[in-house]
Amino acid sequence: MKKYLTTASLLFASALLVGGPALAQQGITDTEIVIGDVEPLTGPPALLGVAASIGHKIAIAEANSAGGINGRKIKYVLEDDGYVTARTIQGAKKVIEVDKAFAMLGMSGSGQSIAVMPVLEKSGIPTVIDVAPVKFLWEPARKNVFVVGQSYEEGIIHLVNYLAEKNPGKKWGLITQDDDYGITVRDGFDSVVKAKKLNVVYSGNYKKGQQDFSSDMLQLKDSGAEVFLAGGIIAENIAMMKELEKLNVKPVTGIFWPGRIEPVLKLMGPAGDGIYAVDYVEPFAGEAGKAFLEKAKPLVSEAELKGINRYTMTGYAAAKVLIAAIERCGKRPTWACTISELENTKNVETGVMAPISFGPGVRFSNQKLQIMQADAATLSFKPVK
Amino acid sequence: MRTGDYKQTYGELVALVDSPPVWLWSAVAVAALIVAPYALNAYALSFVTIILITVVGTLGLNILTGYTGLISLGHVGFLVTGAYGYAVLVSKYQMHPLVGFLGAGVVPAIASLIVGAPSLRLKGLYLAITTLAFSFIINTVILEARTLTNGARGIPVQRPEIFGISFDSDTAFTWLCLGVAILTLFATLNIRRSRVGRAFVAIRDNDTAARVMGINLHAYKLLAFVTSAFITGISGALYGIYLSFVSVEGFPFLLSIEALAILIVGGLGSALGTVLGTVLIVLLPEATRLVFSLFSAQMDALFSTGAQELKSMLYGLVIILFLRFQPRGLVGLWHDIRRTWVHWPLRY
Amino acid sequence: MQYLTQLLISGLAIGAIYGLIAMGFAVIYKSTGLVNFAQGEMTMIVAYIAWTISTTVSGNLFVVAIGAIVAAVILGLLIERVVMRPMLGEPVFATVMVTIGLAVILRSSINFIWDAYPHGLDVGFGRNIVRVGNIGVRTGQIAVIATLLVLLAAIWAFFRYSKFGVAMRAVASDDRTALLMGISAPRVHAAAWAASSVIAGIAGVFFAISYDLSPAMFQLGLKSFPATILGGLDAVLGSGVGGLLIGITENLAGGYLGSGMKEVAGFLMIIVVLMIRPFGIFGERDIERV
Repeated sequence: MKKYLTTASLLFASALLVGGPALAQQGITDTEIVIGDVEPLTGPPALLGVAASIGHKIAIAEANSAGGINGRKIKYVLEDDGYVTARTIQGAKKVIEVDKAFAMLGMSGSGQSIAVMPVLEKSGIPTVIDVAPVKFLWEPARKNVFVVGQSYEEGIIHLVNYLAEKNPGKKWGLITQDDDYGITVRDGFDSVVKAKKLNVVYSGNYKKGQQDFSSDMLQLKDSGAEVFLAGGIIAENIAMMKELEKLNVKPVTGIFWPGRIEPVLKLMGPAGDGIYAVDYVEPFAGEAGKAFLEKAKPLVSEAELKGINRYTMTGYAAAKVLIAAIERCGKRPTWACTISELENTKNVETGVMAPISFGPGVRFSNQKLQIMQADAATLSFKPVK
Repeated sequence: MRTGDYKQTYGELVALVDSPPVWLWSAVAVAALIVAPYALNAYALSFVTIILITVVGTLGLNILTGYTGLISLGHVGFLVTGAYGYAVLVSKYQMHPLVGFLGAGVVPAIASLIVGAPSLRLKGLYLAITTLAFSFIINTVILEARTLTNGARGIPVQRPEIFGISFDSDTAFTWLCLGVAILTLFATLNIRRSRVGRAFVAIRDNDTAARVMGINLHAYKLLAFVTSAFITGISGALYGIYLSFVSVEGFPFLLSIEALAILIVGGLGSALGTVLGTVLIVLLPEATRLVFSLFSAQMDALFSTGAQELKSMLYGLVIILFLRFQPRGLVGLWHDIRRTWVHWPLRY
Repeated sequence: MQYLTQLLISGLAIGAIYGLIAMGFAVIYKSTGLVNFAQGEMTMIVAYIAWTISTTVSGNLFVVAIGAIVAAVILGLLIERVVMRPMLGEPVFATVMVTIGLAVILRSSINFIWDAYPHGLDVGFGRNIVRVGNIGVRTGQIAVIATLLVLLAAIWAFFRYSKFGVAMRAVASDDRTALLMGISAPRVHAAAWAASSVIAGIAGVFFAISYDLSPAMFQLGLKSFPATILGGLDAVLGSGVGGLLIGITENLAGGYLGSGMKEVAGFLMIIVVLMIRPFGIFGERDIERV
């Protein structure tokens, strides 16, 4: 019981320490502006969290080397949540209350962003979400929360429509993960199945963390599916493709953007050749992708350069949009101004995806999608026309 | 001068607290916690809330592991069933939150009966194994029972309103957690000093002897398990409300391990130890951060690459070090200090 | 028929990996009386070390194999000496919790030392596909099944005929008497940890060859757990066989009931086993009912 007191007083002391200088808006001093972020930096999901944070860092380093936002250098505060929802909530509270962030980027996976929404809404901090765009985040539109990207459903619909047009009258197979990500993939798929009356012969559901897909892929083969939507994320898709190779079948395969990272192709080997993917960011093999890597090189460390993947691009774009909005607010940016300037975002070019726009009541940038195809020889994804 | 902790009457042995100042300190602590929301920022307050919720859950586990000496490696299974029990009743069927809390206790209690009845007949690590299996199976059950649980979509949970009092704000919610934590603390302390509690401890200390004294081992072990699951379920409901969203994802297996770590670090079988352990383990990442920031301001850069994992490693290290050097946990440490203080310069 | 055959073969392949890890569990349980919850993590670490050897030193199969075995022995001995030996004589609960703490540390070390990306272990062998009729198997999968069978035979012979094997059995059955007979318990424990680490490491390397390396690999430990319960916690050979049975059960459940069942089939089996035959199929009947 006694320790309660000491803790309380300890926390109390730390609360006093973080008071900071009293300015019109939190997170701004004459020389500095704080941007906060919460990402999974530990465990397997670090793959996306670290990559996204690198994207934020690139945009921030770029702005800082150009003199900062109207003379103020950006300070980037990054919290780790380890993909644990409770810690995402705490991390967001810390960034807002203790680090006194002026604005937020990020944040973590879809379930985590959903859970953290009440915190963001209550605080009113300008936020640009870029990692896991799911409908819940912009429907209904929250005043201060903006989402750069495209919804999972739309992505799947786009991909399935494309594959259906290319392969009319074929038999379809689908496998999804047993979580909210898997369900959105399935929802998108089902809507096209209904609209186009596709013939689905296999529909599987695997447990998160599953590593052996032999029986699932055997079922797929047995069902005679000719077009296959692999709803795994990274390791799962690799395991599935290798299993199909072993079973000596090669359906036309589509994967989704969370798994569209280049190392995947190396691990799939020849089995990965020709698989289709959908995304709203440019492939690294294209002109825009190469230019982005060139830009990133001097701004980040050697280790960080290796951690770059598609999430770096989404993170970069979101940070660009946010920085531009704060910049337009001039010498004394406030939350209200930043939010209205974010709203005024019109065709902002980021170089890594289609121009980004928001609008009154529009909190979702609705990025243009493109279909890509894997090329095993060069280990890259190339846009298809 | 006190020369030791001598209990001279039976009444002293079963007293709720061993000396009057404890009451005073406890009252001060509770008062401090009541005013805490006004003094702390939202981040610091979230630690208080998490600590209170975790205390409830670990006090539940303490009945099983600390009092009765049985290990459960799958208590997160009861946490998640409790959260779903509450979410389904309150969010889906619009029942009264108090009914929800009752459900949050009863559902895991029923689950524990099913798991416990066959496995508690065996001695040793078998309960640990079946509970481990249970915590994986229950996730599949929840995901499959779509009509009831929404499957993987999860259930959004609002902060409750009980008898016209809204617990929507962080402040009020912390008070709710405080209330539940205090109730749980009293409940477990009272169980410990009752006939049932003494039976639990007798089973832990020597089951054969306990049986000779006429204790029905199977019944009492099952009772400990069910009580433990009930309390853990309540904690699960609070945790679900705190997350504002109940899904299988929000309850990783790691929580089971964390709860055991708390008991070990705090001191097995002691309510005070459980509270101390919770405070230490919950604040450990924050303390680590503090230590790192003392070393260098440039730690930030390091943290962004691989050193984040250092925190998890430290967590494992703390468990090992406590088991190795202070198996009685923080509460043991506290007793040692107190003894040294009272008897100095003599040794006890 | 072909469907069933393919399921069984895939089941045996993954089952052999479970079996090896389960044997790792059993070796430690048999000689020290505790369940090592860091088994999956040890599997993962050795596999990652093997991968590092293959990318930095040489991708030659023998270099990687010898390097991995040496690394596994060192890992096992190190854990025994630094972490487990100081706990000698402490209650089982405490030592088991120490292995859990160890698991947390080892798990985190993956991202600390390596990274979160999946990697392929390429030793120029094991990735080719052998086809008999319409049924495909990777050479690595055949090799792991063969390895399991060879190890089963070797371990049987070891416990039956070698002096040290008999000593290990003595320590397991009664460590105080064994001590009085002049057997050094710490030495036996050290040997058990090293052996367990090597067996688990072999499983990890084979898994990495046939499937891939990823920081989620430690879950193999949990997946193999049902195998050792089924075979008998104290039955080294039984655990190996238990692995094959669990692998087949999982695949049959996945193939005929759906993927949801596949991942929990093993755990459901644990519950059934504990109800009917709590000491496992091959375990010794020393369960106390009190």
